[in-house]
Amino acid sequence: MWRIISFISGLAVIVVLLFRYRITMRTTIDLTSKVAVIGLWRAGMQNLTALSRDALTLAFKMLWHNQPRLLLTVLGVGVAFFLAAAQFGLLVGWTNTNSALIRHANVDLWVMAEQTPAFDYGTAIPRQRIHQALSVPGVEWAEGLFMGWEIWQRGDGRRVNVELVGLDKSNVGGPWAMRDGKLGCVHVAHQVIVDELYLGPLGVKQVGENFEMIGERTVVGGISQGVRTFTASPFIFTSIEQAIRIDKRYHAEEITYALVRCAPGADVAAVQQEMRKRIAHVEVLTSNEFAVRSAKYWMLETGVGITVVITAVLGLGVGVVITSQTLFAITQDHLPNYATLLALGFRRSSLVVMVLVQSLTLGVCGVVAGSALFFSAVLASARTPIPLETTPLVYAGLVAVSLLSCLVASVMSLRSIFKIDPVSVFRL
Amino acid sequence: MSTVLECRKLAKHYGEGDLAEPVLREVTLHVQRGEACVLIGPSGSGKTTLLSILGCLLTPSGGELHIAGERVNFGSLRALGELRRTRLGFVFQHAQLLPFLSVEENLRVVGRNAGLERVALNGRINMLMQRLGLEAMRGKKPDKLSGGQRQRVAIARAMLHEPSILLADEPTAALDWHNGENVVDMLIAQAREARAALIVVTHDTRLLPKFDRVLSIADGCVKETPTLKPHAN
Repeated sequence: MWRIISFISGLAVIVVLLFRYRITMRTTIDLTSKVAVIGLWRAGMQNLTALSRDALTLAFKMLWHNQPRLLLTVLGVGVAFFLAAAQFGLLVGWTNTNSALIRHANVDLWVMAEQTPAFDYGTAIPRQRIHQALSVPGVEWAEGLFMGWEIWQRGDGRRVNVELVGLDKSNVGGPWAMRDGKLGCVHVAHQVIVDELYLGPLGVKQVGENFEMIGERTVVGGISQGVRTFTASPFIFTSIEQAIRIDKRYHAEEITYALVRCAPGADVAAVQQEMRKRIAHVEVLTSNEFAVRSAKYWMLETGVGITVVITAVLGLGVGVVITSQTLFAITQDHLPNYATLLALGFRRSSLVVMVLVQSLTLGVCGVVAGSALFFSAVLASARTPIPLETTPLVYAGLVAVSLLSCLVASVMSLRSIFKIDPVSVFRL
Repeated sequence: MSTVLECRKLAKHYGEGDLAEPVLREVTLHVQRGEACVLIGPSGSGKTTLLSILGCLLTPSGGELHIAGERVNFGSLRALGELRRTRLGFVFQHAQLLPFLSVEENLRVVGRNAGLERVALNGRINMLMQRLGLEAMRGKKPDKLSGGQRQRVAIARAMLHEPSILLADEPTAALDWHNGENVVDMLIAQAREARAALIVVTHDTRLLPKFDRVLSIADGCVKETPTLKPHAN
């Protein structure tokens, strides 16, 4: 049994390492890791006895014997894996999207009105909070940020809901990559920045075009890259002063968030605690806490996340059913051969290894096929408003769950193996 | 000659209590090394049941089985598997070769399973292929072979590990007379050369003169029938 476990562990390590190469898209090959993979494989193979190697050979040849069925099964498992990976990819992409501005602001603490559910739903707090934050020991820098829902009027008269973000002097909280123009243009009268992903919906063709927001003239001063919105309302960036002038619901001395950076070496948690004590009627969250809160709001409270997870689980379920059915059919087809092997003195454990190896092989091939589809989709969606993304942890988890599902799918086949009576070889 | 197979009052019944249906009743049998026996009897007489017990595939309801002087422990699946791997050779009615392996691979897998080392295994495979006329078929899959060729491969597979006892169940049933006769001749020749006891179950009475002993089974008992030729040895 330990041989089986060591073989499966070896396979898992190889899959993880292969994944590492894939996910980081490295162009240079890490020779050390490559040697480690080969070493692991060789060590694993040396641990296997000749009989186990025969069981592996028999398992692979048995699968290869019916190539059309093998191909269809791998495609089936691959599509199921792709379905699950794509759903989790959407989840990760959306989670990244709805916390992107928070993460890219690169500040330590966010001061906001109490019970702010997500970045997109901040409400007004006095600008004075910035000065109160600056008075807390350990704080090095603090500025404001405006966030409000407005209406953008296109040249053809159509109106589009947008999220207007007003930047303070340092432009913190603004776009992190510019295609055209400069970030500082937001401080020029009437100028705003729009993102290239939403030029179509906003009716923008180039920098310098004029539009209207709540009756106020706006000029496109720059075009950013990769600033997605989760709410389908594009982000528009300008200065705080111009944002308040457009919004009209905020007073001149109001902001939505106070962004805080601590001095180097300062204990952020201690600063956060002190700030909570000193500033009344606000919440003080770290960037990570605020990002998690925003993600939780959109993913859990709106039901979007649950729907996506259910679809992903269904995808994995489809994979289990496909693998299970095919493996069972293969096992049933080969029952006479299994009976012959038993009659010739093969151990039943060798037959079990064969079924498990077949199951894992289908799983690994399916995962590889599904991964090819998934990473193609990731590349294709990289510059669209709805990106598919993943993290090493999520992807490794998906691979592990998929392979585990394939092993679960072999249960029915294993039952058949345990029921084989070698005497039946005389009745064939 | 030494006794390699010995049955003492072997019995087998299916079902329990009042519903028990006896198939074999106190079968006592001795087979020597190099002896070729044929087992005949009407359908349902228990030929396959006896062959299954002798092949350590089926546990008898009573009695003892001794192979090469050792009593078979039917309680240990591991011991039974070991016996089948090393002491017994099987030739089945339809050869039962693994369809996804070539002829050579079919032999190699079984040889390794029996514990043969690489050099010895290569030697045995080459020798048997030459003797049984299989050299041209090394790389072929079973579905590319005729029925007779498949049975020759099955004989090679059964003889690969030089078993003490060779059991064949209707090896000619799927073959025409000419091919069937050839297969039986090869079986007997190989068994004699390896000094293995051969027990063949068949319905074809034309083959009986080729064997040293004819055993007939009826009403659960095995009886010796006079052979139709002088003892080969």
